[in-house]
Amino acid sequence: MDWLTPSSLLYWSIIIYLTAAIVAIFFYRHPHLCTLFAQSGCIFASALGAASALKMILFDQETLIITPFESTVPFISISMTLDALSAFFILILSILVCCVSLYSIGYLKHYYNKRNVSAFHALYIGFILSMIFVFTAGNAVFFFIAWEIMTVISYFLVVFESEDVNEKAGLIYIVMTHIGAAFLMIAFMIMFVYTKSFDIFGSSEAIPATAKSLMFVFFLIGFGVKAGVVPVHVWLPYAHPAAPSNVSALMSGIMIKTAIYGLIRFILCYLNVHNTWWGILILCIGIVSAILGVAYALMEHNIKRLLAFHSVENIGIILIGLGISFVAFSQGNGILGGLAISASLLHTFNHTLFKGGLFLGAGSIQYATHTKDIEKLGGLIKKMPVTAVMVLCFSLAISAIVPFNGFVSEWLTYQSLFSIIIPGQTGINIISILAAAALAMSGALAAACFVKLFGISFLGKARSECALNAAEVPASMNTGMGILALFCLVIGLFPVFFLKVVDKVVFSISGTTVIGELQGGFLIAWYPINVSGNAITPSAIFIASAVIILATAALIRLVGGKVSERKYGTWDCGFRELTPRMQYTATGFSKPLRIVLRILYKPGRMLETEKGDSSYFPLSKKYRVWTEPVFEKYVYDPFLTAVKRFSLRIKLSVQTGSTHAYLVYIFAAVLVLMLYNRLA
Amino acid sequence: MEFFFDLLSVLVLLSSFVLVSNKKITAYIKTFQIQSALIALIAGIMGWSIAVNEDKYDILIICVIIIALKVIFIPHLLYKTYGNIEYRVEKDFFMNIPIIVLICCGLVVFSYFSVSNIGSLTGFHINHQVVNSLSVVLIGFFFMISRKKAIGQIIGYLVIENGIFVTAMFSTNGMPFIVDIGIFIDMITAVMIMGIMVTRINKKFESINIDKLSKLKG
Repeated sequence: MDWLTPSSLLYWSIIIYLTAAIVAIFFYRHPHLCTLFAQSGCIFASALGAASALKMILFDQETLIITPFESTVPFISISMTLDALSAFFILILSILVCCVSLYSIGYLKHYYNKRNVSAFHALYIGFILSMIFVFTAGNAVFFFIAWEIMTVISYFLVVFESEDVNEKAGLIYIVMTHIGAAFLMIAFMIMFVYTKSFDIFGSSEAIPATAKSLMFVFFLIGFGVKAGVVPVHVWLPYAHPAAPSNVSALMSGIMIKTAIYGLIRFILCYLNVHNTWWGILILCIGIVSAILGVAYALMEHNIKRLLAFHSVENIGIILIGLGISFVAFSQGNGILGGLAISASLLHTFNHTLFKGGLFLGAGSIQYATHTKDIEKLGGLIKKMPVTAVMVLCFSLAISAIVPFNGFVSEWLTYQSLFSIIIPGQTGINIISILAAAALAMSGALAAACFVKLFGISFLGKARSECALNAAEVPASMNTGMGILALFCLVIGLFPVFFLKVVDKVVFSISGTTVIGELQGGFLIAWYPINVSGNAITPSAIFIASAVIILATAALIRLVGGKVSERKYGTWDCGFRELTPRMQYTATGFSKPLRIVLRILYKPGRMLETEKGDSSYFPLSKKYRVWTEPVFEKYVYDPFLTAVKRFSLRIKLSVQTGSTHAYLVYIFAAVLVLMLYNRLA
Repeated sequence: MEFFFDLLSVLVLLSSFVLVSNKKITAYIKTFQIQSALIALIAGIMGWSIAVNEDKYDILIICVIIIALKVIFIPHLLYKTYGNIEYRVEKDFFMNIPIIVLICCGLVVFSYFSVSNIGSLTGFHINHQVVNSLSVVLIGFFFMISRKKAIGQIIGYLVIENGIFVTAMFSTNGMPFIVDIGIFIDMITAVMIMGIMVTRINKKFESINIDKLSKLKG
């Protein structure tokens, strides 16, 4: 049937998005109706988008070119190209949008009559559309336009709650991303200079090797800023907490992945990897991001800032996979390259699911308690049991615990790291061993971090009034998160179907298929390496652990006999009662790691005592502990101060206000032009 | 014919040298008047020959407009503006006159150098008339820089305009009529606005020394 082709499905999905946005604007007086129409439109459109993408990946391997608009102005034509890679990113975008929109129906209730909800919907849909255009852009000019629209709209979404902090966050975000965009623009210009074309799918043979390396560096900086890799990650911990939670779910879940798309599309597909150092550079950046991201996340007590730093970590893990694949492709090892890039793409998908889910969970907590500070939470598992279970699922997924999806992709990343070790090739061997160690360390730290997040905010007693009065969030919010949690579990248990999807994408970009190498049945995925066959079966592990738990329970029951339940207060060491203040705090929990990693944090502490009549009875004591934001203090601040000083000096010396000085500038310009005319 | 034009272009150049070596504001205005008269003469001769040969009268009309505007009306306006300002003795220039004249000589050499490779407009040889009139543009500009008082800037602007007009005349035998008219209208507007501004500056700062304008900077 004609209307079921991927292109027409995508076309209809875009039309429905647009209609939803327009309807949202028309119903601006009725926030309820407006939310319902806009978000259900999004859900429907995203389902169509997902169908289109799946159909594209699974059945049609031909690249589709859709040009809805051709202009007479040179290079300005909207040309959309759908191939397997674009389809894959549209697929993950659509799945996330579907869940987030479902969630938003409930979540946006607390904005009614406070903010312009219909404007929010229009921006939200515009943001989704701009990402679709980024993924399908066929020429660099259109790509850049879509990229900038995405940046600008997300800026407005970040400052949507418009408080002072948000405006600063928005400013940092837009300045950083525009610096990145400038580098992208230079790279596109280099591309045009040599090939006389902005076609992304064209050939890059005309570009000399040095220019290619230069383009690689510019692409890396440009996309790196968007992805939030260390050291250009500074905008992430500001922008994500400032945005409304459904937007930060989209931003962290899929927007930073546009950079991963860009890296694969432009460096792997367009430039073709020639030099080994490209991959090694990406690998090193990935290692640093993975370690530092999680290390800074540990010290955060603002739930959304913590999650933002985890995005840095996960982007690092994705980049480790990407780096290995680049190294492997440059060495001509197609199979390993395919494996590594599948790991990287699968982790992109997984991260979208669980990080989107975690941000939605943070939104639920904020919705119920009106705070983002985990030191003020506690005991939420009794008030919001459904949310708690889902946040636990996502936490397990991000910590790469077995029955969930994070484990699968990290396992594949490990396997590709081990496989690249070849005897007699010292440099890369050392780096990949270090990378494996770094990955292990970041996994352990992430687990610690989520023990802290879950333990402090959901377990124990409520630490403040707002946590005490929390109530379960609306069903639509829980449904949205539930779908994501289900996906996490299904991918974790049955990874091979999703690996097949990823494998088709990898086949379309590199021409290698790894699914054959990952032999085994529906449940088993193993990758043969030279030494011995490594195999893993998540579902078997899950079944085994379930059996062990049940068996242990049965054994205890059998041996111990009937257990009588006795309800009694916990022994309180002779105090009259236990108060929430006696609980372990997040600061206390992270203290050992703060001491171990003090070289990173440069922590400081201060005890202020107000003395009373006797030194044994002080009136008040204040204990303050802080860590230094190293990058901001030692990299960004000196740079900003220098720029400010330079600008001020220019203002004082060049823009003096003297008419004569201005006349002299013009005169000098005229003379130089005349000289140029003579000599040229 | 070419002989007349060579002579007149040299005279126009000379008049701009006279301008930069003047010290009094009334003398600036008078020199500008003389320069405009010379330009009107050039336009008259060129217009006459074209009227005789090709039966077109637009350059003659422009000649009349120049006489009316630049020789009579604008100098009159400037005298009036100057009259509104109380007479005050102030040093008007940054450098002393001999150095200014030497720099202007340098500018003439520079414009000769810069135009020397586009002599092919009227033939194989270098077009000296264009060199001279281009030098007038540069000298007018330099005059604006070297004078402190606002009337100096107005005169400098008018000299630049004169230079551009003569350059156009010599290189293409006159611009299209409508362009010339447009330029004249621009010029009248500019001079009127600048006249008003000078009076305002004088009221505000009790001087027409435009150095004081730097106080306006935020």
